[in-house]
Parts: sequence; structure tokens; C-alpha cells
Amino acid sequence: MSKTVPQLTIVNRLHVLRAEQRLTQEQLAKEVGVTRATIVAIEGGGYNPSLELAFRIARFFKTDIQTIFSVEEETI
Amino acid sequence: MKRFDSLLLRAFLYVLPLFILLAVFAYLYSTGAVDRNAPYAKFLNSLGGLAIALEMALSLCLSFRLLISAPFRDHVIARITLIRERDEREAHLTGKAARTTFVTSLALLILLFCLSCFQVSLYRVPPEKAVDGKTGMITLGLGLHFLNDGKLERPEETIQKKDIFSYQGLPVSSTSVILLLIAWQIISYNYSMRRLMK
Repeated sequence: MSKTVPQLTIVNRLHVLRAEQRLTQEQLAKEVGVTRATIVAIEGGGYNPSLELAFRIARFFKTDIQTIFSVEEETI
Repeated sequence: MKRFDSLLLRAFLYVLPLFILLAVFAYLYSTGAVDRNAPYAKFLNSLGGLAIALEMALSLCLSFRLLISAPFRDHVIARITLIRERDEREAHLTGKAARTTFVTSLALLILLFCLSCFQVSLYRVPPEKAVDGKTGMITLGLGLHFLNDGKLERPEETIQKKDIFSYQGLPVSSTSVILLLIAWQIISYNYSMRRLMK
């Protein structure tokens, strides 16, 4: 009897917030202390940031984490 | 200690190319490809010995420091592979690349182990020892030799066979195997890391 564990997909609105503030990926990367490649990977969904980085991004945009990152549930 | 580690690593990496060049020269010297009476040959051969002694001493210190110091390990991996972890994503990729390197190295080690144990011999026996009129024989075996002198050689007179083909253990020296493994680790890590970072 194995329980079906829902697969969580994390989506983000980082590119939207960045566009609203007219920031380049390079500028945002510098502000939150990562490389531009990491911002590209987060926006593309290829990398989920750590809690620390998520909080840094949220703090930079003066909002909470849920506004930027949300969860879509999928069942496997 | 940080300064000592940095000096140690620099000395090791700067002596390494000289060590490789002198090792190639020493090999040519020992095979007679280089004129042994030339004054530069003796000097370079002596210098090679000194470089080997120095590199060995540095390797011992380096290995000891690598075993006990975690920050030094991070520093060394960045210098050897020319890849630095600039943020958390790259640290995450380092883990993935290290896992790939570990698993591929393990696979290579298992392959080398199997090859070192495998024995095959294709030979002919004299007509009086033919089995069902057949003089061509093939033997397959698995030999585990834990010590270098642990091989049991069968006396020739009891076999009286003529080898057509024979394979026993790895056809390369233990030095070559170790060098192959070192190169594999570095190349595999570098390749995995660069592929993941794309």
C-alpha cells in the first residue's frame, strides 16, 4: 500500500516583478548576490532557489515569498 | 594555516608541469632515446629526481590537508577544475557533478577490477594430448590475486601447449591505472560541471 505523493511544481513571477521595476537580470542578480545565470535558471523554472535566496528576493521587491513563488500541485 | 595551504597548493601546481616534463625526459633517458653521456642529460636526470622527491613530499602534505580541511578541499577543487562556486546554484551543481564523477569512477573501477581478474587462453596441445581429436583449446578463468607475487605459474612441461592468444589481468602497469583514475576524476568532474552550467 503505497501512498501517492503529490508532485509539487514551484512557479514564480520573478520576470513579471523584474519587468515592473524595469530591472535587468544582471542588476537583480547583483542586488541579491547571485550570478545572472542563476536568475535565468530561476525565471526559466530550471532551478528552485533556497529559502534564504527566496527571502532575499522577496525582501528586495518589498513583498512576501508567496507573491513571487507559488505551488502548482500535480499528482503522480 | 590558510597561508600555508595556499602556498602548498601553489607549489604543488607550479612544480607539476616541470615534474611531468622531467618524468618524460627520465623515461626517454632510461630507454636510451637520449644520449646518456651528454652533460645536460645527467643534469636533467638529477633534476628530475629532485622534482620527483619534491612533488612526492608536496603530495603527502596536500593529501593530509585535503583529508582534514573542508575549506581547503573547496579551494583545491576550484583551482584544479578552474571552476569557482559563485552562488548557491553553482554549489548545487557541484554536488551533482561530484555525484556523476563518483558513480562513473565507481563504474570504471568495477570494469578495471573485472578486467584484472579475467583470464583467457587460446592454445594448441600436442596431438598425443588431443581431446576427441581436437588440439585447439580455450580456457576461461577468473583469478583473484591480492598480492603481486600471488600468481601461480603452471610449469611449462605439464602443459606442453603452444599459446595462440593469452590474456591475464590488466595489460598496463599500476602506475598507468592510477594516472588513468586521476585523469578520469578531473575530466569527468569538469565535463559534468560545464554541461550542467549551460
